[in-house]
Amino acid sequence: MSEQKIKVIITMVGLDGHTTGAEVISRVLRDAGMEVVYLGVNQTPGMIVNAAIQEDVDIIGISAHASNYSLIEDVISLLRGSGVHDVPIVVGGNVPRHTITDLKAKGIAEVFAPGATGDEIINYIRANARAQNERAA
Amino acid sequence: MNALPDPGEITNALSSDSFRACAQLITAIERATPGLTPVLQVLYRGGRGNRIIGITGPPGAGKSSLVNQLITHIRRLGKTVAILAIDPSSPFSGGAVLGDRLRMMQHSADTGVFIRSMASRGQLGGLTKAVGDALIVLDAMPWDYIIVETVGVGQNELDIMQLADTVVLVQTPMSGDDVQAAKAGINEIGDIYVVNKCDHNEADRTVRFLQSMITLGLHLQPEKIWTQPVVKTQSVSGLGIEDLANHIDHFFSVMKPDTPDMRLRRRHRIAYQTKGILRDILERRFHDSNDQQIENSIDAILTRQSDPYALVSELLAAQG
Amino acid sequence: MKRQTDYGYEIKNVYTPADIPNFSYEQDLGDPGVFPYTRGYYPQGYRSRMWTQRMTAGLGTSHEANQVLKKYRDMGQTGGMCVISDRVFSSCIDPDHPLGEKEAGILGWPGSSLLEFEELMEDIPLTGQSITLLGSCAPSPLRLAYVVALAGKRGIDISQVHGSVMESPFENYFGQTDVSPFDQNLKLFLDACEYVLRNKIRMRACIISQHFQESGGNNAQAIAIEMSMLKEICGRLVNERGLDFDDVSNLPYELVSVGTRFFEEVAKIRALRRMWARLVREEFKSDKCHLLITVHTSGRTMTYQQPLNNIARCAIQTLAGVVSGCSALDNATFDNAHSEPSNLAARMSLNTQHIVAYESGAADVVDPLAGSYFVESLTNKIEEEAYKIYNEIQSQGGMIAALKKGYIQEMLSNEASKRFREIDAKERLVVGVNHLIIPPEEDFQIPIKEVHANDSRAIAERMAAWKQTRDQGALTAAIRTLYGGAKKDDRFNLMPSIIDAVSVYATVGEVIGVIRKARGISYDPFNIIECPFELV
Repeated sequence: MSEQKIKVIITMVGLDGHTTGAEVISRVLRDAGMEVVYLGVNQTPGMIVNAAIQEDVDIIGISAHASNYSLIEDVISLLRGSGVHDVPIVVGGNVPRHTITDLKAKGIAEVFAPGATGDEIINYIRANARAQNERAA
Repeated sequence: MNALPDPGEITNALSSDSFRACAQLITAIERATPGLTPVLQVLYRGGRGNRIIGITGPPGAGKSSLVNQLITHIRRLGKTVAILAIDPSSPFSGGAVLGDRLRMMQHSADTGVFIRSMASRGQLGGLTKAVGDALIVLDAMPWDYIIVETVGVGQNELDIMQLADTVVLVQTPMSGDDVQAAKAGINEIGDIYVVNKCDHNEADRTVRFLQSMITLGLHLQPEKIWTQPVVKTQSVSGLGIEDLANHIDHFFSVMKPDTPDMRLRRRHRIAYQTKGILRDILERRFHDSNDQQIENSIDAILTRQSDPYALVSELLAAQG
Repeated sequence: MKRQTDYGYEIKNVYTPADIPNFSYEQDLGDPGVFPYTRGYYPQGYRSRMWTQRMTAGLGTSHEANQVLKKYRDMGQTGGMCVISDRVFSSCIDPDHPLGEKEAGILGWPGSSLLEFEELMEDIPLTGQSITLLGSCAPSPLRLAYVVALAGKRGIDISQVHGSVMESPFENYFGQTDVSPFDQNLKLFLDACEYVLRNKIRMRACIISQHFQESGGNNAQAIAIEMSMLKEICGRLVNERGLDFDDVSNLPYELVSVGTRFFEEVAKIRALRRMWARLVREEFKSDKCHLLITVHTSGRTMTYQQPLNNIARCAIQTLAGVVSGCSALDNATFDNAHSEPSNLAARMSLNTQHIVAYESGAADVVDPLAGSYFVESLTNKIEEEAYKIYNEIQSQGGMIAALKKGYIQEMLSNEASKRFREIDAKERLVVGVNHLIIPPEEDFQIPIKEVHANDSRAIAERMAAWKQTRDQGALTAAIRTLYGGAKKDDRFNLMPSIIDAVSVYATVGEVIGVIRKARGISYDPFNIIECPFELV
């Protein structure tokens, strides 16, 4: 049987309008054979969680350009509150170091700071997205 | 993804935690998870016959924005809608950026709307079967409308429209040359024509062209009970959307399930859907067969001791 | 490692007279202050007028931003102030909107009403310095209305105020998305531009390549885009609004992103002046081509790893900006990849400018690199590349037509991906990122400017309460007049009714919401709240 495609949401949260990072990473993941549901700008935590459920994605990627990190925490709590526990959330962007620690403590699986390579991100997703865990199990 | 629900419990699952259950079933369909067939059988037999609207047209015609406006309108009337948005995949990597949802984002927080994107390639059972099966799932839920949106390029995507009750063909205003090209093209499949971006200079000319084509069609098939309307819209502002929605509703009031036209359509759809399933089963049998065995048969064909027809007979005779 | 300009021209190891054949001093350069202005607009260079050294402010409440502005003045920034808006104001919603209450004041100034502007400018003069208010395109008419209204209240002659408050609608496509439709943004932008020109207000309009480049575009694309935007906007003001080009020419203000490849950046700005001068002559039959060029040292080049390295980058970029003869300069700070500027980082950046201004000697002489075989060759090269792209855009019908076809977006998106891959593949070396990397634990920890979501709630609550205290009668009347005007033809200028509405404290959400409604779309761009006014 051919390999299952990993399905990823790439989104921004709140009013953040810096789309470049999200667009670049969407292409990188597409070229690595993944299905990317690109939500774009102006997404509320509720919209992101609904999309994650309806699209039944394997991992959620939030691109944050000096963003409001409390909105990212809202995504975590809403998603888990909806009973989705096996879909990891990762963040990419210029996140201060101490915020990385905070976000990880609150349930963000990984944070990719500027300078992370495409391969690092692809390999992380391949190893940690939901579908992969299932196959291993 | 959770394990597949038991066929006996599926109807329950779809009514209680409906969005998740529905989404997970569609994933199982895309991934051709074994054991799905009995679930789909139960769902099909409990199907509601919801109104399925196909929306297609060339890239850049503004289909997703139009769908977005249509959702707004449907929701304003207090009705519910599910959308299946088929997006092209990259032919190189097999990956895809599914961006249609982006243009429908304002409905993401609405519980009366379900939006699912599907890549047009890489469905293990072929796109037709995947979309057909996803529609079985959606039809088992109480949606007032189901919308299937595809890019009208490639036969695959156009074929999908056979799964819909009514087809909305979205065009942008065309230049004279485009009009000539379109005459030979895909225009035959529409039940409702939309000229989007109607503020454009060429809009009226395009409308006139479509109308003349319809009149011509009427002479050829005078017994038809439905005459295709041409609707002008502007998906950015929502202009013309109400008109479009009214035409869609009018279609269903003219083409009632018991009319011969509609009955014929639904029979075609079943035949089409069946072909998709059949093709899937046969192709899968080819892929699932013992590779060595097929290779041996191919060796025999190469030396003309056998032939492709004989191999097909072998495969058809195989168990399963 | 590639030895190429960012637009792919292979750099040779040495340049000689053979690299600038047919070089003509008069035609290609001219003296400073002489057509085609390659060497700059001012014969005396910085001896006649120093560049405006400025830092961007705006975080937290208006009161806090006011304190920062005063501090910058104490630090020697007196030529002009620059305030960037928060995302709430830029999205044309109010802080008490459900999407506003978590982001008001987080990344900029929460300027949703004249009240906020009055607080921002408390004890700060409106004249004698340039007033620059940045944000997105959509609220441009509000920013202009604030300045006009406050000048009125202070009894100041508006012609004495100068600065820049309008932004072009193009940047929405360059990774600075706001939520308003392009056509509406374009209309309101043209309204604001027409208003300042007809009323002799010395306000410039940002028609800038910075966002394009910061989002991944290359140098040649950036100046091609800049030419195309200038042509489109100036052309519309002349043809649609009936203005004289010689007046229109005073309007554009260009913010150029300057990176670390020193000579290429200098060549870019020299080529930009020359191309614009020639374009103005050909297209508009005029010699008035003094483009106000502000340099923004590139935020994109500020690395997350080893942030102190950014001080060195910023110094090189600042020097490039000065050598190229810019009129104003603002710096990305060394903590740019981590947070909003800390006080330390802001001071470092401003000091970098002061060191270049007073210690380096670079400000003593005009266009010091003129005549360098390398720099002249690079100036020709980038111009050649830019013309190719510019001509392609023109053949598609100009900037707006090319945007509607998706040509510009695709060019930018491809280039951004290419840049990412080049760094990924180490074809472009970035010290501390893909070259000479140190373990994170050895990295110097810089102080981080904190932003707190609690402040947003306070700003939102104050806005909600304060809205009730306004003169509702006057407000409703002004809003209804605005609504009536907004239903008219696009060439009917809404600026006077926007100023009237703002003067009675209509907020950005209300003003833009009502205009949206008049144009047949929802009051709230996010479809969450309803229009609070009864409109007739």
